Amino acid sequence: MSKISRRDFLKITSAVTVGAIMPGMLGSLSFRNSKRPNIIIILCDSLSARHMSLYGYSRKTTPNIDAFAESSTVFHNHYSGGNYTTTGTASMLTGMIPWKHRALNLGGLVRSEFVGINPYTLLGPDYYRFAFSQNPFPDRLLGQYNEDIDRFLPPSSYSLQEEVSPLRIFDNDRALASIAIEDFLLPIQDNTVAGSALLGYINKKRILNNTKNQKIIYRHGIPEVLESWSLISYLNEEIYSGIYSELSRLSSGPAPYFSYFHLYSPHFPYRPRNDFLKLFRDDGYIPVSKPLHPLAPGIDEKFLISQSALYDRQIAQVDDEFGRLIAKLNEEGILDNSFLIFTSDHGELFERGFIGHGDEFMYEAVIHIPLIIHAPKQIKGEHVFALTSNIDILPTILSMAGKKEVSDLDGRILPGFGGQMDEDRPIFSVVAVDNSAFGPIKKAVISMRKRNYKLITYLGYDNVEQMYELYDLENDPDELNNLASKDIKTLSAMKSEFFTYLDEANKPFWKK
Amino acid sequence: MIGSAQQRLTRQFSERLPDRKSVWGVYAVIVFLVYSWTLVTSFYKLPSWMFYLTIGQILSIYAYLFSLNLLESIFLLVGVLFLHFTIFLPLKNKDEFQARSILIVFTLLVSSMTRLLLYKSYESSEAFVNGELTWWILTFFWVALFSIIMPKKKLFRSIFAGVAERVLIFLYIYIPLSFISLIIVTLRNIN
Repeated sequence: MSKISRRDFLKITSAVTVGAIMPGMLGSLSFRNSKRPNIIIILCDSLSARHMSLYGYSRKTTPNIDAFAESSTVFHNHYSGGNYTTTGTASMLTGMIPWKHRALNLGGLVRSEFVGINPYTLLGPDYYRFAFSQNPFPDRLLGQYNEDIDRFLPPSSYSLQEEVSPLRIFDNDRALASIAIEDFLLPIQDNTVAGSALLGYINKKRILNNTKNQKIIYRHGIPEVLESWSLISYLNEEIYSGIYSELSRLSSGPAPYFSYFHLYSPHFPYRPRNDFLKLFRDDGYIPVSKPLHPLAPGIDEKFLISQSALYDRQIAQVDDEFGRLIAKLNEEGILDNSFLIFTSDHGELFERGFIGHGDEFMYEAVIHIPLIIHAPKQIKGEHVFALTSNIDILPTILSMAGKKEVSDLDGRILPGFGGQMDEDRPIFSVVAVDNSAFGPIKKAVISMRKRNYKLITYLGYDNVEQMYELYDLENDPDELNNLASKDIKTLSAMKSEFFTYLDEANKPFWKK
Repeated sequence: MIGSAQQRLTRQFSERLPDRKSVWGVYAVIVFLVYSWTLVTSFYKLPSWMFYLTIGQILSIYAYLFSLNLLESIFLLVGVLFLHFTIFLPLKNKDEFQARSILIVFTLLVSSMTRLLLYKSYESSEAFVNGELTWWILTFFWVALFSIIMPKKKLFRSIFAGVAERVLIFLYIYIPLSFISLIIVTLRNIN
């Protein structure tokens, strides 16, 4: 038996010590198959494809993204599964239609039986898995996958208040601690009453006063994220610098890695930097005037136009930061072995008397989202015009990583990345915030896009004059001419197909 | 001479200290109110938790709730004891401690609960902030009035003592549960 030298002994003991102290690090060294590509998702919250020059918007809001698209694959008819963050993001992460994953309500979660279906679990330890969401709702969704995430940053990272939440002491049990404390005991933006009679009250008061004070301190406007513990002020410059450092760090490690950045901008409040404030001023652009929606609060059109311009400026700043990031990544060759997916979770609406997202609106501006994928060393631009949904992202990621398909998914591999075009495929977007997440879908607004038609169905809304809206998007891209009472044949065909899908989705819940 | 003055002062001070039974009685009322509120409001959330989470996870959530409730109840007890040793110390009558403290805690918590119920939505946050000062001025006025007048009457003192005695049972249930909860929370958060 050979004798162990003192040097060998020291090597072994130091390796064992490092292993004991940093099990995650050792784990991350053991996996790696360098042939697999890195996968990076950059998601900009509330970014509507309808406000991007890349997708034909008349204002030049996204020159840098346009340039990036010249060497990427652009999906021109890409839809979100929902019209607000929780539903939209959960659809992307689970590859399922919302009526299946059930993250329907504000701050909701994915049904427990489908928690294992997400990129983190399915990519497995072959990948180093990173997550960061500025928005607390996706952060909570990601919390469900906590055990499978190697590095998981809190929402306040790279912001002006990095210290923020004392709840970070529960980082090892993030999802449950968040549900118990942020969602129940000390909630502030929920319609449920705080579960803590005294501390819940004190926290609510503290946050609301803080909101008031922030407005005084930053009167010129710094973008903010409303988290249940505090209001986080951030600068896009710092956020994007943070992404760059993170990607540099990940790339210098033993590849491959999967990283998901859920960025808050251009989400409301729209507060672009001063040098973007004059953009599009007096450019003569006037959006198409649209009729007031019966469910809208009836916001004045002039105000809608001014907010829309502010939103466009916010997008322009995001575009500027994105351009800077891509230049740096290219410079360092980080994209040479990486798929970069640029997308959003939902859009934003400035029409029919309504501003924002969520609520009962399923018009194009709020569900048509960007999707641009840059493959490793891709130099030629590709364009996909087939209808796609963000439920297709998960199967596509799995395919990129060489992982086997998962049977529970509603999504399909995207065309251009191994998937096939299917003209007869319906694409669904669902908003069911007021519907019980554990009952059949009875109160919801659902959009079904098929070929050039789009059917919007209002389920359980007595105050809507017509239960259906039908648009021919090829001839009426602004959705001004409701064909529901004019094209009965198309309406009944689409209705019949829609209810076949819905009845199927509701089946397990009727039984209960 | 100095020694006897010191003794007199100590005697006078100790005469004003509440006895242990009264303190436990007050704590029992605090525990009853704090934990019951959390439990009742949690029942609104429970169906959704049952849908999304496993039984083990739901029990862990309750561990977080009870742990925070324990801290909250201790915080409140320290608060009433602080009041007793500062503002109410000159009132001499230590028999009034229990009734007065229960009254203070009850008014404070019920007032807070009512406001949470009235302004539960985020949309009502402006009304929540604007009406706050008036609400609490009125609350403190009533607390001050009742906490001085009511405990003087023997009838009220015995009513509050009866209440404290009856809710004492909750201490035997909630406090051990809270300590188990603290252990669970700790175990879940260590590597």
